[in-house]
Amino acid sequence: MKFNIILLFIALSLLGCNEKESVARYTSWQSSQTEEKIIRQTLQNFEKEYPEVPYQFQPIPGNYTEKLQLMLGTGKAPDLFWLKGDTSPAYMSFDVLEPLDPYLEQDIDFEANDFFPVFRDAFKYRGKNYGIAKDFNAYVLFYNKTMFSEAGLDTVPTTWQELYDFSKKLTKDSDRDGKIDQFGFVIEPSIDIVMPFAYQNGAEIVSDKGEIKIGTPEFIEATEFMMSLYRDGIATIPPDLGAGWMGDVFARKQCAMIISGAWLIPYLRDNAPDLEYGVVELPKGKKKATLAFSVAMVIPKQSKHKEDAWKLLSYLNGKEGMTTWTESGIALPTRKSVAEKNGFYNDSIYSVFMKSVDYAKLYKVNMQERWYDESQSAMQGIFYKKKDIGKTLKELAVNLEKYTLE
Amino acid sequence: MKFKSRKKEQFFWGYVFLAFPLLLLSTFVFFPIGFAFVVSFFDWNLLIPDKPFVGLGNYIELFKDPVFIKAIKNTIIYTLGVVPVQTLLSLFLAFIMNQKIRGRAFFRTAFYIPAITSSVVTSIIFVWIYSKPGLLNYLLNSVGITSNIDWLTNPLTVLPSIMMLNIWTTSGYFMVSFLAGLQNIPSSLYEAAKIDGASQWQQFWKITVPMVRPVTYFVVIMSLIGCFQVFDQIFIMSSGGPDNASTTMSYFVYQNSFKYFRFGFGAASAVILALLIFATTVIQKKYFPPDAY
Repeated sequence: MKFNIILLFIALSLLGCNEKESVARYTSWQSSQTEEKIIRQTLQNFEKEYPEVPYQFQPIPGNYTEKLQLMLGTGKAPDLFWLKGDTSPAYMSFDVLEPLDPYLEQDIDFEANDFFPVFRDAFKYRGKNYGIAKDFNAYVLFYNKTMFSEAGLDTVPTTWQELYDFSKKLTKDSDRDGKIDQFGFVIEPSIDIVMPFAYQNGAEIVSDKGEIKIGTPEFIEATEFMMSLYRDGIATIPPDLGAGWMGDVFARKQCAMIISGAWLIPYLRDNAPDLEYGVVELPKGKKKATLAFSVAMVIPKQSKHKEDAWKLLSYLNGKEGMTTWTESGIALPTRKSVAEKNGFYNDSIYSVFMKSVDYAKLYKVNMQERWYDESQSAMQGIFYKKKDIGKTLKELAVNLEKYTLE
Repeated sequence: MKFKSRKKEQFFWGYVFLAFPLLLLSTFVFFPIGFAFVVSFFDWNLLIPDKPFVGLGNYIELFKDPVFIKAIKNTIIYTLGVVPVQTLLSLFLAFIMNQKIRGRAFFRTAFYIPAITSSVVTSIIFVWIYSKPGLLNYLLNSVGITSNIDWLTNPLTVLPSIMMLNIWTTSGYFMVSFLAGLQNIPSSLYEAAKIDGASQWQQFWKITVPMVRPVTYFVVIMSLIGCFQVFDQIFIMSSGGPDNASTTMSYFVYQNSFKYFRFGFGAASAVILALLIFATTVIQKKYFPPDAY
């Protein structure tokens, strides 16, 4: 009968939902084909070494965070997955991740002490480790060598004052039409561009005790400095030139210096192969500081295959796995021995990132996610509405009280 | 007796045919609506197992949230700006397209294309048009107006810019609705008006506008609902910025539910949005009914 057919359809569609969950599932996002190829290469090596550990690789091509969140909420989360450093405090405070300390103690070969200190404790929350920093990136200063030599500059800026003076010298209107063709520097009305300068000035966003420090004179001073570069017309922002992001401005040769992570290197290779650039550490303020970005590999509490998931995690973030993963330079290793083995200390570009690790602070703020959008709004207010910096940041500090994680 | 059993059979087959769509609608529409309403009274974070009941707590917090107040304001400005212009423009376009002019098929297609183009694509095109070195500033400068603003990062222009885009994309769609309405107007009315010496303009206002009133009613309600729910253009073009100058209610719902994990809070703001749409529709039905002439 027709009824039976309908019932059959329903039954079939329900069967489809019943996914196979008998082996450990490993999930990542996919940002490029090169990346996926290397991930698969690393996994093949793992299979050769540990043929007895069953697993399945299930990358999520789009809307990673949203999908993962739903999977966690419905108890279908993968057993091992990537977690962005900046979203990690929320996940750790929600108590959905498995503390990794017992595994770290058991697995002697893992050698957690090989990690750079800033990354070894990167995903620690209330004394427990919840994730392993799989790789990192850090803000450094890229500069256009051609523009520097045209301006007769043979050194690089090492202090805020020099950054200002260099930017001024490098800003020019070559065709004298009243419009500047080349800016010294490029910034963005974004909190994470101000953060390294704030750290250099002795400020922070939130203290270890959970007090909001964004309205302090040190933070305001750092923001003032960034704004002064823009106000005096020696730094530009991407929307002013119709550019999508800061790297675009640098690749179009419309600015001489830029703060960026290593993600700029492949972009420049593809979009501005003739651009000769150098990479140096960020100029320093009262002290040296920069911002480091990291991604954690985590195991959720709900996982039914924690042992296997750990074996996979341990291999991928072990000396061997990380060497394969970072060899080509698409990511930077969080292990000192791997950085040495891959020759990153001898490379004129990558060694700068390695030096920066010593004083880098992790981009991870212990607040609810909304802190970021509120801070972005404040920065946009300062840049686009010319709001008073001190007043805006003090208001922001009061506003952010609601979003601290206890 | 025979009659009764036939009626019964009719009922039976009626429900059989209805069963599948009803099942789909209940699972994917009615149940989620009811569920969202219930969720709005709980502090539900998808990742935390316990979901404490907070009563009206989410709603109280909503009206204390300056971003939400701004989102309501933006949504209302957006709707008030888009709906009248869009309705008039699409009626006007339909009126012209209904005349016997040369190249009518081409113009009809040209006006309808934005409606069938993905909103993501049109948004990305307009991001470029509105950028500082973009097409709009170029055109303005070439006609002698010196314009050097970045339309999407300027807090004053961002919302009107997105409004213009929406008017452009949806006018074609509503034009088709109006065209259908126009073709139902008997030509005898126009002939009689011509004999009485009415001008084109008078014909438009005295015959066309009142005769398409049911269609106007439909168009206004649909575009009201569409405007209140505007999301994709905001998401792609401005992310609610700068400084929340273009945050709309739907965008606020999305941010809170899927970025800040606060499903209860997000559901509460969705309920407020639904109430707002419901209220405007009721008001319209009461004061501007479709067949009041």
